[in-house]
Amino acid sequence: MYFQKKRVIAMLLAGGQGSRLKVLTEKTAKPAVPFGGKYRIIDFPLSNCVNSGIDTVGILTQYQPLELNEYIGNGQPWGLNKTHSCAQVLPPYERHDKKSGWYKGTANAIYQNIDFVDRFYPDYVVILSGDHIYKMDYAAMVTYHEQHNASCTIAVRNVPLEEASRFGILNTNPDNSIYEFEEKPAVPKSTNASMGIYCFNWKVLRDALIADEDDPNSSNDFGKNIIPKLLNEGHKMMAYPFDGYWKDVGTIDSLWEANMELLGKDPAFNLRGDERFKISARNSALPSSYIDEKAKIVNAFVAEGCEVYGKVKHSVISVGCTIGEDALVEDSVVMPGVVIKDGAIVRNAILGENSVVGKNAVVGGAFGPGDKRKISVTSKGAEVKDSTVLLPGDML
Amino acid sequence: MNVMGIIFANDATIGELTNKRTMASLPFGGRYRQVDFGLSNLSAAGVRHVGIISRHSYQSLMNHIGDGEEWGLELEEGGMEYLTPYAQSVTHTYRGKLESLANAMSFLEFGPEDELLVMIDSAILSNVNLNDVIDCHIRSGKDITVVTKAGIANGEKVLDLALKMENGEVVDMVVDYAAPADYLASMDMFVLNKKWMIQQIKEMIGRDKFHMDRDLVLGGWQRGKVSVNVYEFQGVALFNESVEEYFYNSLALIRQDVRQDLFHGNHPVYTKVRDRVPTYYGEDSDIENCLVADGCFLEGEVENSVLFRQVTVEKDAEVENCVIMNDAVIGEGAELKYAILDKNVTVTAGAKLIGTKQSPIIVRRGETV
Repeated sequence: MYFQKKRVIAMLLAGGQGSRLKVLTEKTAKPAVPFGGKYRIIDFPLSNCVNSGIDTVGILTQYQPLELNEYIGNGQPWGLNKTHSCAQVLPPYERHDKKSGWYKGTANAIYQNIDFVDRFYPDYVVILSGDHIYKMDYAAMVTYHEQHNASCTIAVRNVPLEEASRFGILNTNPDNSIYEFEEKPAVPKSTNASMGIYCFNWKVLRDALIADEDDPNSSNDFGKNIIPKLLNEGHKMMAYPFDGYWKDVGTIDSLWEANMELLGKDPAFNLRGDERFKISARNSALPSSYIDEKAKIVNAFVAEGCEVYGKVKHSVISVGCTIGEDALVEDSVVMPGVVIKDGAIVRNAILGENSVVGKNAVVGGAFGPGDKRKISVTSKGAEVKDSTVLLPGDML
Repeated sequence: MNVMGIIFANDATIGELTNKRTMASLPFGGRYRQVDFGLSNLSAAGVRHVGIISRHSYQSLMNHIGDGEEWGLELEEGGMEYLTPYAQSVTHTYRGKLESLANAMSFLEFGPEDELLVMIDSAILSNVNLNDVIDCHIRSGKDITVVTKAGIANGEKVLDLALKMENGEVVDMVVDYAAPADYLASMDMFVLNKKWMIQQIKEMIGRDKFHMDRDLVLGGWQRGKVSVNVYEFQGVALFNESVEEYFYNSLALIRQDVRQDLFHGNHPVYTKVRDRVPTYYGEDSDIENCLVADGCFLEGEVENSVLFRQVTVEKDAEVENCVIMNDAVIGEGAELKYAILDKNVTVTAGAKLIGTKQSPIIVRRGETV
């Protein structure tokens, strides 16, 4: 079989559990978690790839892959199902030398798929993760990488100094070349946080992965092992500054916040606008939404296939939801297929896919400006029974 | 059973709205084009070879359907075929369905002889289980099955074909006539045996007969040459055969029962995916009793209307009883009542457009008011 040579391909790490999303990822891998009314988290890196002219994407899956695999399918929603493009799901597998098994770490996941990458003879491989919400032109990053003759380029963003200890921090020279990498430093020297987006020369990465696999002490992780190793070996490594919107949606709070940041006339993250950077999603073939005469919707997203009879304020309502008469949904994220029955009140909540809030039930509560917001969460298919209460911060 | 489908893209026209497009590509219901309903009926019944016949105005239709991917018709064998008129044989446009079918003979003759043929028109929208119709056709043993709807004939609306039944048998049939209320209206949807149909087309065209309803169905039945079976469809059928009907039926989608039946009756209705973001409802928006597609940006008041994809309604604009197609921008303080805005219309701030229920104002594609 003939494979066309590609200048650049992408490998998308989508195997993590996302345990900090708690009940939302009990049955779903994090990249398949719904976001923004009609998307799933993985739509963002996948669409970014396509919008950047990258038409070959390997997707490494491991945790709860059913829904994610089904969602990716043949890559058709992103136009990755053509003769010279692919969205290839790459699960762990058994090998003759028994060396393989579950992916031990991010680097090991790529190591186990060296054969896949080799088929395309790529000059560069872009490594992405499936848990960030952002729009980015990877092609510009690859060009930057090429112009600087680097072995590895890492996308960085400026974070507030007090938050820097939560990230991998890259200390750079004035020309943006990296001289030091510190994983979650107690006393950060700079505020350049790694976004977990890497561009490697494939030859360099390939050798590093093989060497790393032979090191019994390695935890086979990009941040902990591969990046420090390449730095020590004296490879030229560049930081690629990115100042657009970027959000790690790895926790309940950050997932809720990122959804809320879509709202408003000039939202922090604007999904509308630039046609060249539109985000594609698998379509659900549902009709337009019906907004009843008793409905009242203020500062909210409502996707297609919904029936709204009640009140919606400052919320994101996903495809195929029903909001009953006299129900109120405020400051909440309502995932696809949710039914909120008549008279129910939902505040500061994330309602998982196909969950049901019974008649006159109450989910979550209101918070004053000084209070710590506690998000209530329902898991996929959960049911809050009629006239019962799910307290602020509780999960069902 | 092998089944082949034929969709007629533009057997009727409704003036301004279909000047530069076929009936098939006329937008309907917020996110659809009329052809989506026929294509989805065929696709859901497992039909994997569909020809679409159009006399002119192809571009928007081809742009919309493409290779039929959304309907599972992007196949190497069969799939979606465009049956365009042959310039050499037809210097005029087709005079009737039989003539257009005669021109599509190579399409009809492709594949096994025992195939059934389903013919669907693009002006009448429904969510039909075609396998049910096909079973009914086979059980009847008759030449042709006409899918019909009760309650459409009213003595005023001129129907393409209407049939009167007694004890399960056709006792009268009329063509292009305002049949009384006890007649069943044809939904311009037929099931027939392909081999039989090919023979009929050749015989009819040989005698310069080209009208499907008049010459083949009515004429054949009167002469005792064609046996006619009737399938009475119980669901919602929207006859969009005039601007008034198109307007009325568009707003009828606001009714839950109509919506439920048309969109969720037997199967989903598929359409071309446009990847618009969810609709945003602003701080001061007031949207009541509306059908709203994706990608809209709403800050004004809209009541009793259908909004297609990517419509902007600015602050203090008032929209009532309107059908607003894709990409319209309705400026601040504008007032619209009983209007149909074709695609890409701009209504400038403060402008007023007031039509009536019987004759809604139509604004042509791309115009600025």
